[in-house]
Amino acid sequence: MSRPFPYTYISCPCADTPVPDPARKRRSRESTQKPPPEQANTDQDKKLSAKDEQEEEDEDEEHTFDPRSPRSNFSLYPPEQLLYCEECHQIKCPRCITEEIVSWYCPSCLFETPSSMVRSDGNRCGRNCFNCPVCTAPLAVTTIENATGNGPQQGPWVLSCGYCLWTTLDIGIKFDKPTNIRSQLQKMTDSTAPASFDRSRQASRSYGDLKHPLSSYASIDGQSNASERDGEQAASKEDPAAPPMGMDARFAALKNFYRTQIAETSNSANDRLSSEFGFSSPGALNRLMSLYTTSSRLSGLYGGNKKPKSKPPVMREALTASEGLLIASENNEADIIARLQSPECGWDGMASIDQRATQSPDVRFVDDLLPLPVLLRTKRAKRCKSCKHILVKPESKPQSTRFRIRLIALSYIPLPTLRPLALSSTSALPAMAPTSDLNSLPPLRPIHVLLTLKNHMFDPVRITLATPPVTPGRVATKVTVLSPQFEIGANSDVWDEALQGGSAPLTSESRSGAQRGVPEAGKVWDKGRNWTTVVLEVVPGTLPGSSAENGNGDADTETNDVDVSAIAASRQDEDVLEIPVFVHMDWDADAQLDQQNVGKGSKPDDKVTRELAYWMVLGVGRIQASL
Amino acid sequence: MSSDTPSMGASKRTSATSGLRNIQTARPVSPHTPQPHSGNPSFASSTSPGSTFRSEDDAIIFEIGARWLRAGFEGSSAPVCVVGFGPEDSRRAGDYRGWIQGSSGAGRLAQPVDIEEWTRTYELWRPDSREIDLGLVEDKIERAFRETYNQFLLTDAGTSRLVLVLPSLMPHPLLSSLLSTLFSRWRFPSATLLSSATMSATAAGLRSALVVDLGWAETTATAIYEYREMTTKRTTRSMKHLMQEMGLLLTGFASGNQGTETVDKISVGFAYCEEVVSRFAWCKSQAEEDENLDEPGLKLSIPSPANPEEEYMDVPFSRLAEPTEKVLFAPGVAEHELDDEEKSLPLLVYNTLLSLYPDARGTCMSRIVFVGGGSRIPGLRQRVLKEVSFLIDRHGWSPIRGKALERQRQRLEELRLSAQKASNQPEIPKSNVEAPSSDDERADPSKEVPEIDFVEQKLRRQNKDIPVPIQGVLREVESLGPWAGASLTTSLKIRGMVEIEREKFLQHGLAGATRDIDHPVPDRRSGLRSGGDRSSWTLAGWA
Repeated sequence: MSRPFPYTYISCPCADTPVPDPARKRRSRESTQKPPPEQANTDQDKKLSAKDEQEEEDEDEEHTFDPRSPRSNFSLYPPEQLLYCEECHQIKCPRCITEEIVSWYCPSCLFETPSSMVRSDGNRCGRNCFNCPVCTAPLAVTTIENATGNGPQQGPWVLSCGYCLWTTLDIGIKFDKPTNIRSQLQKMTDSTAPASFDRSRQASRSYGDLKHPLSSYASIDGQSNASERDGEQAASKEDPAAPPMGMDARFAALKNFYRTQIAETSNSANDRLSSEFGFSSPGALNRLMSLYTTSSRLSGLYGGNKKPKSKPPVMREALTASEGLLIASENNEADIIARLQSPECGWDGMASIDQRATQSPDVRFVDDLLPLPVLLRTKRAKRCKSCKHILVKPESKPQSTRFRIRLIALSYIPLPTLRPLALSSTSALPAMAPTSDLNSLPPLRPIHVLLTLKNHMFDPVRITLATPPVTPGRVATKVTVLSPQFEIGANSDVWDEALQGGSAPLTSESRSGAQRGVPEAGKVWDKGRNWTTVVLEVVPGTLPGSSAENGNGDADTETNDVDVSAIAASRQDEDVLEIPVFVHMDWDADAQLDQQNVGKGSKPDDKVTRELAYWMVLGVGRIQASL
Repeated sequence: MSSDTPSMGASKRTSATSGLRNIQTARPVSPHTPQPHSGNPSFASSTSPGSTFRSEDDAIIFEIGARWLRAGFEGSSAPVCVVGFGPEDSRRAGDYRGWIQGSSGAGRLAQPVDIEEWTRTYELWRPDSREIDLGLVEDKIERAFRETYNQFLLTDAGTSRLVLVLPSLMPHPLLSSLLSTLFSRWRFPSATLLSSATMSATAAGLRSALVVDLGWAETTATAIYEYREMTTKRTTRSMKHLMQEMGLLLTGFASGNQGTETVDKISVGFAYCEEVVSRFAWCKSQAEEDENLDEPGLKLSIPSPANPEEEYMDVPFSRLAEPTEKVLFAPGVAEHELDDEEKSLPLLVYNTLLSLYPDARGTCMSRIVFVGGGSRIPGLRQRVLKEVSFLIDRHGWSPIRGKALERQRQRLEELRLSAQKASNQPEIPKSNVEAPSSDDERADPSKEVPEIDFVEQKLRRQNKDIPVPIQGVLREVESLGPWAGASLTTSLKIRGMVEIEREKFLQHGLAGATRDIDHPVPDRRSGLRSGGDRSSWTLAGWA
């Protein structure tokens, strides 16, 4: 997988509690009874699920966690990413917390953006921070006259990418000042002559370049008597002459149009008024009014006392380009095809999907790409979803990386680390040999791995490990934990240990030296102040389709011989040897004032026994295809 | 696990939100000062003083499809972000493989893959709900929403209203999964469902339209008349098949045989293929028998399918139009050989129009809106319109075809006087724009234009101000897309028919919706509901 072997993942227990849905129970049973064909062989332990279809709700706990099921990807986290709620005494993953934003800042200039400005800036930095639209590297403000170099602050400025050498000159944009680039750019994209730019370029937010509403109305009404269609055509004829609107302009026009229509149809009294004043359209005056007041109350003031017409006006559709209607032009697409064919376009002249994702939706060519203001980031406080207890609270300053509160899970659960046991006990450098091996474990050859659990709590912890004897999935690997029950010492002060007896680490060293090479069932491999190491014996299974296929593998492949290759391809990590380990830990903690519900039995000296159980996945290595 | 354990704070909070909901329910039609929305009064004050003062009132709009998720705030013209559902998005946390070895779909696959398997990991769901693992869908949705909020929307999730733009036909298990995931994960006060077809029409400024959505799993043609969905027809000729076809073509290129491809498995990466489709898939303006007449030697240099990272390869430009042609237009296949679910695009449009009443047909046919990923393919829309107009010329608006009909018609014509012949012929030249009317449709208003009776005259005089809408001509109107339509609708404070309150959904799930579709009487004029009794909710079109 992504991480170098060996690695460990912890599955958040929230994966066991499905999304509560009142209508769900019946459905979930149906869906497990007939899983999709390719799902069947990867589903959690086929035999198990077949056996207890009926009583699956009761036996949810009994299911073996399958690291291979596609769902487990969403519940597995590296141990250091997990949090721990002290109220619920439970591990919390990003799925079982809620987040609240503390501050917004630009990751490029580290300026904090006030919350009132975030939305108006479009969640992007409002200063000079831009990313290259082609390669996403940060853009620098440079001057064109740099080559001559005599004037220090001379000439027009451009944004240039230091990585792919793209500059805004490529799209014909220069800036007058080296500051406040964002607003300059916005002004430019608003008002640049549309002839020189594509229509996607000009994202005009102002209504300035829309035609005057009255004029378009007059043109329609003049012709509507003779023939509506002629008028319509004339109106649509005008469109090519007028600059085609960009997305934003069209959106604004449509919004304006709908707003007027709603205002017109909701108080129809304005009709009389408009006809009296000689406005040809009922909307014209109202539109004027709505320019000044967004509320229709003022226009109601003038026309409200008039008797309403008998027939309520019907809301109509947009008829002209100024109302946001855009008739598709016939040669537009032909132009695009011609441009596709032209030799200067080519593959690299087209914007890729990634490039387009952050741009205006109708961007098609690289020439249409605009520099991207840097997306803001947030600092977020995190709370437990169930009890709202605060788990993480960062300092709000962007420059600070400190946290006021941070309850990471590793302070509460033992940190698992994995390391292969050197096969040859005589080797002086045991760490060197096995690391290369882990990417190609020979199948059917037993190996030993050392699992070290390191306790960070100030209480000693009792641990019980459990693994399925054979890993789920099609590669059946046998796993045995040689000493499944053990204790880990408390994380006492390091100085205590040093002062009490300096010999403690030495003894553990010597003991481990004595034990090296002889993993014994029922015996802890090694033990330190706050850590314990146990041995797992692993016999990697054979990959399906490999030459060293034994009976076990055959049984599986017979059932689904047809789609072996398809599955092998879709499950690209089938050769990865991952061991699900169920960890159950309990310890005696100091009873807190508010907690009675979790403690099983109160100890006399105000101690409560707490327990925590979760699944852990150990990534051991990759299995070789053949012996 | 229930998300809210009863506690002091929780009870306080529910009372606060319920009071707030009353305010929202009585939302006036006219624009008003936004009510300051205080999310969790009991907690918000302690951590983030800033977040409560933001204008949280703006609804957040999500458009969810099988491949993409678009999200943004109401009132903006384009979504803030577009997020895909690729295999990279369903990796474990801390699995940075995509960054280490390049995108997984870019390079060549180790071994050829079945075409269905090839697309599977890139889809959020499939229309056939038997094939989907709902739990996995929920996981993906949860993660996609969470990351969208954290990376792009930059606002606290769950504090503001949620507007979902969904296709009008959605399996109930999926819908239920989606809603229960969102409601149980975050504290959205309510979710409004909007139909993507209607929203596309709205974003084009229209009240009636024929919305052709060239989507991933299927292409739908939805006739909308006065904001109501009249009929929907669908075909499986869609972007997924196009992608598969392009994958096969590129696989053919990779293996070197430029001729007929006999492969049925794909060996090129999905992301690479999608890149090719999005850049260079195009459509010829008409079905040409003379294949290589237009610039036969025109070659295009694209990254080689065999090794896209390093080398380029020259590909005939015209070949890149083949998948579009083959998948969407089914050339050379007679209509009767196509199943109902796999009609070609022109037939789909034509049949949808044919199934409408003449009034609605006349209105819709001059308001054809293309949306969806496939509408970006250059040349496609013109081609569809051209073929539809060809179909209209040939068949008129009569569903009756076949040899028997021809014979009967000939017999009738022999009986008739020669002067009467013309009126029966549906083949009226295209220059007459009011062509599509055969004699069994006297109700077609365009037919009656020449003889204006006095009632008509009076109506004309009365409606002088209101321009009579264009109809009866094939015309295409550009839309800003369903997301923009929803943003428009929401920012105008129009409430949707389907508005699901959090508490009610959490009590009963989808089963809590009233079956009575007519229960909330829609406002006549706007077609959308603007307030009213909210004691019960309905699924309207989704029921």
